[in-house]
Amino acid sequence: MPETQDALWYKNAVFYQVHVRAFYDSNGDGVGDFQGLAQKLDYLRDLGINAIWLMPFFPSPLRDDGYDIADYRSVHPLYGTLQDFKDFLAAAHERQLRVVMEMVLNHTSDQHAWFQESRSSRDNPRRNWYVWSETDTPYRSARIIFIDTEMSNWAWDPISKEHYWHRFFSHQPDLNYDNPAVREEMWDVMKFWLNMGVDGFRLDAVPYLIEREGTSCENLPETHIVIKELRAKLDREYPGRMLLAEANQWPADLRPYFGTGDEFHMAFHFPLMPRMFMGLKLEDRKPITEILAQTPEIPASCQWALFLRNHDELTLEMVTDMERDYMYDSYARDKTMRLNLGIRRRLAPLLEHDRRRIELMNGMLMSLPGTPIIYYGDEIGMGDNVNLGDRNGVRTPMQWNGSWNGGFSNADPESLYFPLIQNPVYGYQAVNVLSQKRSEHSLLSWMQHMIRLRRSTPLFGSGSIEFLYPKNHRVLAYVRQQGDQAILVVNNLSSSAQAVELDLRRYKGKILIEMFGGNLFPRIGDLPYLLTMGPYQFYWFKLRRI
Amino acid sequence: MADESILSDDFIRQLIDVGEVDILVGVPTHNDAKTVEPAIRAIQEGIVKTFPRERAVILNADGGSNDGTPDVIMGASIDELHRSFNGYTLRTLHAISTRYGNNPSSAAALRTILAAAELLRAKACTVICPESANIEAEGVANLLRPIYREHFDFVAPIYRRHKFEGVLLTNLLYPMTRALFGQRVREPYASEFAFSGRLGSQFLNRHQWSEEFKDYDPELELTVTALSDGCRVCQTFLGTRSPTKRQARDLVDAMRQTVGVLFSALDGTFAMWSGKTASQPVPTNGPEFELSVDPLRVNRKQLKEMFSAGVIELESVLKSILTSGTLSELQQLAKAAEDEFRFHAELWVKSVYEFAASYHKAVMSRDHIVQALVPLYRGRMFTFLVENRTASAAEVGKNIESLCLEFERLKPYLLELWNGRK
Amino acid sequence: MRDIIVGELTQAAQEIFRDFAHLLPRLIVMLVIVFVGWLIAYIIRAILRSILQFAKFDRLSERAGASQLLTHAALPTPTELVSRFVFWIAWIGFIMLGISVLGIGGLQEHVERFFFFLPRLFVALLILFFGLLVASFFARAVLLASVNANFPSPRLLSISARTIIIIFVLSMVSEELGVADQTVLLAFGIAFGAVMLGLSIAFGIGGKDLAQQFLENRFLRERRMEKEDEPSPL
Repeated sequence: MPETQDALWYKNAVFYQVHVRAFYDSNGDGVGDFQGLAQKLDYLRDLGINAIWLMPFFPSPLRDDGYDIADYRSVHPLYGTLQDFKDFLAAAHERQLRVVMEMVLNHTSDQHAWFQESRSSRDNPRRNWYVWSETDTPYRSARIIFIDTEMSNWAWDPISKEHYWHRFFSHQPDLNYDNPAVREEMWDVMKFWLNMGVDGFRLDAVPYLIEREGTSCENLPETHIVIKELRAKLDREYPGRMLLAEANQWPADLRPYFGTGDEFHMAFHFPLMPRMFMGLKLEDRKPITEILAQTPEIPASCQWALFLRNHDELTLEMVTDMERDYMYDSYARDKTMRLNLGIRRRLAPLLEHDRRRIELMNGMLMSLPGTPIIYYGDEIGMGDNVNLGDRNGVRTPMQWNGSWNGGFSNADPESLYFPLIQNPVYGYQAVNVLSQKRSEHSLLSWMQHMIRLRRSTPLFGSGSIEFLYPKNHRVLAYVRQQGDQAILVVNNLSSSAQAVELDLRRYKGKILIEMFGGNLFPRIGDLPYLLTMGPYQFYWFKLRRI
Repeated sequence: MADESILSDDFIRQLIDVGEVDILVGVPTHNDAKTVEPAIRAIQEGIVKTFPRERAVILNADGGSNDGTPDVIMGASIDELHRSFNGYTLRTLHAISTRYGNNPSSAAALRTILAAAELLRAKACTVICPESANIEAEGVANLLRPIYREHFDFVAPIYRRHKFEGVLLTNLLYPMTRALFGQRVREPYASEFAFSGRLGSQFLNRHQWSEEFKDYDPELELTVTALSDGCRVCQTFLGTRSPTKRQARDLVDAMRQTVGVLFSALDGTFAMWSGKTASQPVPTNGPEFELSVDPLRVNRKQLKEMFSAGVIELESVLKSILTSGTLSELQQLAKAAEDEFRFHAELWVKSVYEFAASYHKAVMSRDHIVQALVPLYRGRMFTFLVENRTASAAEVGKNIESLCLEFERLKPYLLELWNGRK
Repeated sequence: MRDIIVGELTQAAQEIFRDFAHLLPRLIVMLVIVFVGWLIAYIIRAILRSILQFAKFDRLSERAGASQLLTHAALPTPTELVSRFVFWIAWIGFIMLGISVLGIGGLQEHVERFFFFLPRLFVALLILFFGLLVASFFARAVLLASVNANFPSPRLLSISARTIIIIFVLSMVSEELGVADQTVLLAFGIAFGAVMLGLSIAFGIGGKDLAQQFLENRFLRERRMEKEDEPSPL
C-alpha cells in the first residue's frame, strides 16, 4: 500500500490502463505476464503515473478478451499464478503505484462453474443465479448492445431447454442480482482481492445488473440499491479503496451512480471523449462546451475518469446520429475501422500521427476536470492493426525497442498472442520506448513532463471549471480554480493560427505565468486579453497576483 | 479595393472571430426587424439541415436601421450560449452584423458582403432578402447547393409571378441579356442569388465601387459579369416572392437600376457578347417559370396616353437617340387610336437596340437616354397587357419566348449600330 | 504766288513723302507682324485642334449636350469652334500689335483698351458657351422629368427653364463685358432666374427624389387610388 493514506487519492491521480497480456512477456511464451509487468514497473513510475488499471486477468475462455470470466478467484495460467500477482502488487505498492483491477459483476462466462450448474437442470440450486425464461419475449424494450454480432438479448440453452438473458455476447450469461445469494457471493469475491491489497475495482457493465419488464433494463433503481450495498460494505471494511464505474451513459443518467457520494467514487465520462475528437475535427469548441455544460455537478468526494482512448472502440453510442456520421466520415472513412457503434483505432492513427494534435488532446485530457487515464502505448504514439478482428487491433504488444519482437517477448514472432505492429510509420522499429527515451523531444518525454506538471497541480483534479466564451469559436478556454489559485487554459482547436480575445476582467491585475516554460505574460487589464495561437497550440497559465 | 478600408475595426474583429468559412449568407437590411426573423429561421434551418458540417456565417450588412434589426440577426448565432435554433447542430453557426452607412445602399451592402466573403475565404455565398417572408429553408439550400457541391459560379432565382408582374424583366431585361450573352437567365436582376467565392472576389476587385456609383444597384452587373466571364450559371426555383421595397420603386428609378446598368455593362463586355449568335438554356432546379393568371385590374389607358404624350413631347430628345425611321414609326404609333394601337415586337426591339447604341455612344447625358426610354416602355407594356389579357400562362410564356427570339434575330442590327455612325 | 504754291506743294509733297518714308518701314513692320501673327495663330490652331481631337473633346461636349446645341445653331464641331476662336483672338491680337507699331496717336489708346478688354471678352464668351450648354441640359432634364411624371405641357416648362437660364447667362455675360449697367430688368431677371434655376436644379438633380415625390403626390394621387393593382415592373 502506498504511504499516502489520502482517502481521495484518486482525485489527483494519473491512471495507466494496461493489459497484463500486452505489456511484457517474461517467460517467452508469447503472452505478457505478471512477472513481466512487475519488471516494467520502473518504466511506469518514471512515466509519472501513480495508478495502474489492470484489464481482466481471470481464467477465461478469452472469447471477450477476458471479460468472460470463468473463475473469479484465480489468475489465468497464461499470465502467471496468484503468487505472481501478489508479488506484482507488492512491487507496485513499493513504488507508490496503486493497482485497480477489473471486476465484471454483470455476467460470467458460460464456462463458469456457476453457469454450468445453473444450466444443468431447471431445478438446480444455482438455477436462479442466472436469468432464465421459457420464451424470448420478456424485456423487449432493452436494446441490443453488440448489434454487429447479436440478434437478441436472449439465447437458447439446448440443455435445459430455456432461454437465458445476456446483454453482451451470448456466451456471457447475466447473473441474477435479484438473488441475494449472488450479491453475497460477489462481495465475497471482491473481499478476496481487497484482502490481497488491491486499491480499487473498475466495475464493468454496471447499468445492466437488474432487469425489469417494460423498462430499458438500464440504470434501474434496484441496480443502485445493489451498488449502495457494496459501497457501504467497502467503506466499512476497506476505507481508502475505490470503485470506478463503467457505464456508457449520458452524463445526466450517469449522475445517479455517484449517489450522494455513497455509490461510485469515479465514473467514466463517456460522451466527452468523442466530442473532443469531434471538436478537433470541426475546429469548433461547441461540442465540448456543450457536453460539459450538460454534465451535472457531482459530490466533492467523487471524480470523473477521463480518457482519450481505451481498449474498446472509440464509442459513438452517446452521440446523435448526425454526430456519429460525422465521426465516421472524419475518423473512419474505411469501413473496416468501424465496429458496433464506434471506431476501433488508437490515438495516434486517429490523429493522423500529428504530434501537435496528439499534444493538444493530451493537454485537454490533463486539464479538464477529472482524472486522466492513459491507455498503454499511447504515451509513445503506438499504432493499431485494423486487420485483427474485433477490438484486437488496439491490443497489440507494447513496443519496447527496435529489436526482436519489439523487446516484448523472446518467443517466436509467430507465437505471440497478436502480431506486433510492423508498418514503417507505427511499427516497433519506428515507435518504441527505447528510442523515445533517448530523445528529450520525443512524445514519451513530453508526456512525462506533462504528467509531472499535471500531478504537481492538484487543482486540475479538484478545482472548479469555468468556461470563457471568447467569440472565436475555434478556441476553447477555461479557468480552473480552487481557493485563491487559478489556472487559465487556452486551446486552439484549429489547424491554423488564431487570434483570440479573452474577457479576463474578473482577474484584473493578475499576471499570467506560462506553466511549461515559466515565462511571464502581460498583466491583465481592462481591455480584452489578446492571445495569438499557433495551429493546435495550447497554453496553461497560472494567474498570479504579485 | 480602395485604399481606405470599408470595414470597421469592430467588424474586422468579428471576422477574425468567425475565421475561415465554407458558406456565407449575406442579409442586407434596413429597418426590417419585423420581417427578418422568418428569413433568418429559414437560413438557419437551410444551413443546419443541408450543410451541418460546413463552417457557416450569417452576415448582416445594415444600412442604418433604427429598429434593432441587427440585434435580431445577431441573436441568431447558434453556439453554446445562444440556442435560438430548435434542434441539434454539429457546430457553431455564427451570425455577425456591421453597419456600412446610415442610408441603405444595395451597392455598399453587396460590397461589404463581398469583402467579408473574400476575407473569410467563403466557398459559397448567397444573398437573402430580409423582406422575403416566403423564403424557405429548402430555398436557401437550393441556392447554395449548386455552388458548394456542384461547382457552379452563379445561381439566379426563379420566382412564381403573376403574368403581368415584372413586365420590364420579361420584355427587356430577360430577352436582351439572353440575346446578348447567350444564356437564358430569367431573373438577371434579383435580390436573392448565390455566387462562388471566385466570382465574388472577381466582381469585388473589378466593379466600380466609387461614390459616383453608390446609388446604382450592382446585382444586374453581377449577373452580367457571371454571364460574360464564362462562369457556370444555373437557376433555382424559389416559389412566390413577397413584394419588396425595391419593387415598389418608381419606374424611372427602376429603369436606371436595371436598363441603365445593363446598357453600361455592355461597354466593357463587347468582345464577349458580340460573338454570341444563339442562346442556350441554363440548368434549372425546378420549373423554368411559373405564371399565375388571376384577373388584375390595370389602368391601361393611362399607359397609352403617357406613351403618346411622351413620344410627341420628347421629339427633340428622341431625334438624337433613334434613327429617323424608327422615330417616325413611333410617331405614327403615337397618333393611333387605342384599339388600333400595337407596339409590335420588332419596333420595340429596334428601339431598345437603338437606345443601347446611343447610350454606348453617349449622344447625350446617359441618364437622359435611360429616362427617355420610359415612355416607350409604357407603350410596350400597354401592348403586352392587351395581347395577353386573356392568355393562359402557357400562352404568355410562348409570347415572351417569341419576343426573345425577336431580340436574338435582330442582334446583328445592334452590332451594326454599335460601331457605325448613325 | 506760284512759287508759294509750288513751294507749299513741294513742302507738302515732301512732308507726305517724309511721312510716308517715316511710315513705310513701320507699315512694312506692321505687315510683317500681321503676317507672322497669322502664321503663329495658324500654327496654334493646328496644334490646339490636334490636342482637342486627341483628348476627344467632341465626345466630352457631346455628353454635356454641347454638340446638340451647336448642330442646332448650324455651327461646326466644338473642336473646330474652339480652335477657330483661338485663331481669331490670336490673329486680332497680332493685328492690333501691328497697328500700334504704326504709332498713330488715337489708335494707340484703342489698341491698349482692346488688350485690356481681351480677357474679359474671353471669359464672357466662355460663360455664354457653358451657359448655353447648361440651359440645354436643364431644359432636357425638365422635359424628361415632366414627361415621365405626366406633367401637363412639358415643352412649355422646358422652354421656360431654358429661357430663364439664358436670361441669367446673358446678364452674367453683359456684366462681365461691362456693357449694361444694373438696369431694373436685369436685376429682376437675375433674381427670378436664380429662383428658377434653383428650382430646375432641384427638379433636375439635387432633390430629384424629393421633387419627384412632390410631383407624384400632387399629380398622381388620384391615379394611385385606381392603380392599386399596378404590377411591379420588376
